[in-house]
Amino acid sequence: MSVADALGIDPSRLRESTDDLGRIAMVVAGIAFWGWLLTRWLYDWAFARLGIGPGEGENFLSPTPFEEAAAALEGSVVALGPVRIPVDWLATLVDGAALAIDVAPALATGAWYTIVLTAASIALGFCIAVPTAVLRVYGGPFRWVALAYTELIRGTPLLAQLFVLYYTPYLALWLNDVDIVGQGFVPDYAFWIAILGFTINGSAYQAEYIRGALESVDEGQLTAARAIGLSKLEGIRHVVLPQTLRYAIPAWTNELVYLIKYSSLAGFITVPELYYRASRIASSTFEYMPIFTLLALVYLGIVLSATNLMARVERHVAVPGIGRVEGRQQG
Amino acid sequence: MSDRPKTTDGTVRERDADASARGTEPLLRIEDVHKSYGDEEVLRGIDLEIDRGDVEVLVGPSGSGKSTLLRCLNRLTEVDSGHIYLGDTEVTAPDTDPNAVRQQIGMVFQDINLFAHLTARKNITLGLRKVRGLSAEEARQRADSELERVGLADQADSYPAQLSGGQKQRVGIARALAMDPEVMLFDEPTSALDPELSNEVLEVMQGLVAEGMTMVVVTHEMRFARGGADEITFLADGAIVERGPPEKLFENPERERTKRFFESIRHE
Repeated sequence: MSVADALGIDPSRLRESTDDLGRIAMVVAGIAFWGWLLTRWLYDWAFARLGIGPGEGENFLSPTPFEEAAAALEGSVVALGPVRIPVDWLATLVDGAALAIDVAPALATGAWYTIVLTAASIALGFCIAVPTAVLRVYGGPFRWVALAYTELIRGTPLLAQLFVLYYTPYLALWLNDVDIVGQGFVPDYAFWIAILGFTINGSAYQAEYIRGALESVDEGQLTAARAIGLSKLEGIRHVVLPQTLRYAIPAWTNELVYLIKYSSLAGFITVPELYYRASRIASSTFEYMPIFTLLALVYLGIVLSATNLMARVERHVAVPGIGRVEGRQQG
Repeated sequence: MSDRPKTTDGTVRERDADASARGTEPLLRIEDVHKSYGDEEVLRGIDLEIDRGDVEVLVGPSGSGKSTLLRCLNRLTEVDSGHIYLGDTEVTAPDTDPNAVRQQIGMVFQDINLFAHLTARKNITLGLRKVRGLSAEEARQRADSELERVGLADQADSYPAQLSGGQKQRVGIARALAMDPEVMLFDEPTSALDPELSNEVLEVMQGLVAEGMTMVVVTHEMRFARGGADEITFLADGAIVERGPPEKLFENPERERTKRFFESIRHE
């Protein structure tokens, strides 16, 4: 008799109920995270400009009560003896909450840059990656062009690429001369250079993932497409790529997750994204540990949202025989 | 190609009824075709003429060049030298558009090669839409009537992964037929299938024979060769060893090589 039987618990019911709990917790966390970001963005760009509320970039809540509570807890620590350690932890936590309220507006604005930077770069990179991968696999004598591009971009550090673009003569000047750059909602030229850099860099990695998926589509698929009179390019477009992209989703998601995080390198060319803002605050307050912990949590929120979204996309586009297969959890 | 009769409903093929009235001009002419892969010459000068409405079965040991010859016919493989004509068109001419030729030559593969991401119906409509330029509705109707022809009207919305091997191959045949080809090429259409699944495919092929479709079939199915073929061509080492009607090749071959081959098959 197993433990579960002895306790009168049906293990499958137990698994279901913990699954449900996990799902509910994820949904609640997701709503809280995106609720916070969306409210903040909306407020900063609309209501704050109309003079409503505390003002752009100012806290919604006051951190003062948390700061006072933390100070009180810390003050009582000495007298408490054996329970001093948990109380000490609690004090740190409450102190962290006060800090979180303080830095939340800056992190929310930074998150906007991070998300736009990532979304634009991954999408533009995809548009370069697909032809590059196709050229690599089907390009015949021109395959080396795709190979050279991929190896050059993959073989050099992203940070170096960003600096090269940032200091390319006339590129920044030319971008600055574009009237709308740096005006109103449109970010500064550094932001556009970062998008360019991440697009190029990401496209090389995406091309490799797509190449792998292209090669996993049976050669006979293209042969059959050509046998009914489609040209090679049409066959690739209508038969090979639709299968390839389904196969590529898991690996492509991996690249998306990487890009979310290495978009922090844009901070080095002065783009005020998440990492840049957090490090600026940390170096002026010396609260490195809690600020970078908060920063990590924001990245985690964005990454989990992205993987969740891509899992949905994967399920949505799956067809029998291609893509996500149910029932792998055998036994 | 201008006199090519067009049938749109797919179930009635009248053109073959008057094929004999068209005269003796062969539909497919293969002249001195050579093909090498590296140092290995897989086709060493093939000459063959196939009349409209005839069923030509190619047999031979593996590596004899049968499949290569078939793929040369619709230029999935390019010949090194020699000429192939379909009616008045030289298939092998450099200025002939292979995509146009392939619309008139349907092909069925050993490994079936249904488009894995498309339903049975969409496997058929893809070519009709993108190659023939039919409207979505026309293509759908055409696809459904072709599926009906191979007995799979009820599987139109199934994906390849949901079909049995025999069903998949029948969709493969329907996909080729939908393009309204002059000739159908079958490259070992049943060798990837279990014996009981082969039968449903062979029945569909027998149906095409009865309708008078011109067919070139590479197969090890001697039942089909015996019952359906007008001519059997025996190839070995890239050359035609012997050609003749089934009863002659089965019962009374001229060449010793042919005799040995058919005996070895009988023992299987």
